[in-house]
Amino acid sequence: MRRRARILAIVSVLALVAAACAGDTTTTTAGGTPGTTAATDTTVAPSTTAAPSTTAEGSGDPIVVGGTLSLTGAFAATGAIHKLAGDMFVERLNAAGGLLGREVQWNLLDDESDTANVAPLYEQLISQDQVDLIMGPYATPNILAAMPVAERYGYTLPQHTAVLAPLMTYACQFPGWSIGPEPNSFIPNQIADALDSLDGAVSTVALLTNESGSTAFVSYGIADDPDDPSTLNILPERGYEIVADIPYPPGYEDWGSTAAQVRDANADLVLMNGLGAEANSLIEAMQQLDYTPPLMFALFPAPGLLLGLGDAAQGTLSVSIFEPNEPILEQMDPEVGEIVDEYAERAAAAQIPYTVFETQAAASWNAWEILVQGVEGAGSTDGQGICDSLHSTGADLTFSGAVTFDTAVNNFWETTEGLKQIQGSEWVMVWPEDIAAGALVGPTG
Amino acid sequence: MIEIQATVSGALNGSLFALMALGLSLAWGFLKVINLAHFAMILLSGYLTFELATSIGLGPIATIVITAPLMFLVGAMIQLGYERFDVSELNSLLISYGLLIITVQVVTNIWTADFLRLPAELNPFSAKSVGVGSLRFPVPTLLAAGSAVVLVVATELVLGRTYAGRALQAFGQDREIASAFGIDHRLLGVLLAGAVGASAAIAGMLFSIGGTLTPDLPFEWIGLVFAIVILGGIGNVTGTLYAGLLVGAISGLVAVVWTPSTSPFVVFSLVVLALVFRPKGLFPQKGG
Repeated sequence: MRRRARILAIVSVLALVAAACAGDTTTTTAGGTPGTTAATDTTVAPSTTAAPSTTAEGSGDPIVVGGTLSLTGAFAATGAIHKLAGDMFVERLNAAGGLLGREVQWNLLDDESDTANVAPLYEQLISQDQVDLIMGPYATPNILAAMPVAERYGYTLPQHTAVLAPLMTYACQFPGWSIGPEPNSFIPNQIADALDSLDGAVSTVALLTNESGSTAFVSYGIADDPDDPSTLNILPERGYEIVADIPYPPGYEDWGSTAAQVRDANADLVLMNGLGAEANSLIEAMQQLDYTPPLMFALFPAPGLLLGLGDAAQGTLSVSIFEPNEPILEQMDPEVGEIVDEYAERAAAAQIPYTVFETQAAASWNAWEILVQGVEGAGSTDGQGICDSLHSTGADLTFSGAVTFDTAVNNFWETTEGLKQIQGSEWVMVWPEDIAAGALVGPTG
Repeated sequence: MIEIQATVSGALNGSLFALMALGLSLAWGFLKVINLAHFAMILLSGYLTFELATSIGLGPIATIVITAPLMFLVGAMIQLGYERFDVSELNSLLISYGLLIITVQVVTNIWTADFLRLPAELNPFSAKSVGVGSLRFPVPTLLAAGSAVVLVVATELVLGRTYAGRALQAFGQDREIASAFGIDHRLLGVLLAGAVGASAAIAGMLFSIGGTLTPDLPFEWIGLVFAIVILGGIGNVTGTLYAGLLVGAISGLVAVVWTPSTSPFVVFSLVVLALVFRPKGLFPQKGG
């Protein structure tokens, strides 16, 4: 009996831990040893020292770029996008003669979507594998974990997607995706700008927020500072009444109850600062209650998934730094079209469900271009040299244009982010008007 | 009114978790196996439902014809393994955790870690609801509730009114004594584990109708499902259903009265209190 009680206690503790982990998107879910090398052609014995090397140009040894991505676990779906974009970039770079006349090899490790794995793996890459350069991991918590290691060893850290700009304090981290230094101000203001153009069709907003770092930051600003810019503050200042404010935990499942609450609020806009498949779940739960909101916004949805809802998701808005809409491609370098087409082909072969080269892949491409242009500017792989070069000359990015880096705003460059909208069977850039590929469609019904 | 709708939606949602908990509770109560591989079978069934529906056009519910027998076999084989190696209750927890991790990785390798959802044209239930007055009963969770009730009633009938059911109860109470009375505990155990596997197939199918598939789903389910097993009473079939409905209803109500973020706090506080004051569950069995 006592043994049974002990087992019951153990299971209860495990269940509580699992529940807590489920709410934390950094759950370890995959087997294998953290750090398993993913790419087949990316492991070499580097010849450099632990500090960022200044190996002479044209030495013939490959330049090894170390980094982790979430190839398994909760972030793996997006990790696969960054891996493919990185593979393509490195292949093109090598085909064009490499970097400083040397071949580039990417030593990519799997952090298993577990933030706890990230810092040790970057320690390993730098101090044991002695890589020449590093590339950041995917997802804000992982990037935050890698940043102190890069800083300790003096490596420049290009990173794809960290949104929490105020926390990215290392002077030599360089974002590939920028929503400016204050995403918590920029995003709600951009939404308000777009709504203003609809001539009063929207006046009330129901706000839903996933309480994880980046989405809560956009809704509520920095924790414990009610005056910090936030969706909750800015929209009322811009004349939009927030009629419901519904925070929910990561891993939330009970969308039926929340849909009832949203229906009851009867807002003109359902503004969901959420992640992944959450917008799908909410839209379907609202459908089950015979309710369709006039207009819907989803902050960071899984690429492509909302399109699968068909008519139910028509008109849904989200954010984007790049969509390969025909009018946009026509204005860009022909190479962009080639990249988009190759990505679609290879993504299909890699069984990535959504094969469109959009924000995530563009951010990855940006990060690699920042690294390469920093090395070329410095003329070496010296970490401080790369950092200084990027601060002095900025970078010219295929998908975001010329950008500059200012340490006063943690290197977050002037954003090119806009709003996209589901129109027909694709996402179409609709805001701001000067980069739009189609017109913003207002509320229905 | 919104409170009533939220409570109803929550309770129906809870019935799906009760369905998941039912198999776990039976295996734990009668076979003395804490089978985390049950979550692996639910996950695999959800993905097989998706695959069969999208690749050969089988209706989501019809996929049960394939997945239930398959999961019956998987469940039975796992139980045979436990029997063969005389795995203890605690070790079954550790071994089945390993099986769960392996399954998650296999699912990731086959279907990728991306979100998968049955397309609207293949899933006529996802956006449907049944209305009674101003209340709406979402069809996916209504199906789950109906399935849970049918399975619970059937299981209670088998346990209470058949020789095999009584033998299982005897086996659950004392293996040696039951064996001494001629009960073939190995065969019964394998059959029960197979049936539990089949119930996992039903739960997986129902989840795929209403939810989005990702390989790490089991880690989101485990906390809530164990809470239901503990609140319902280990091996208490009807108690598991009641606990699922109760947990779901409380979650739904708390979500609208306070916030959705408060729901886990309330539910797991209830679990802690139950462990302290009602360690055999909130719903005592007859003679229990």
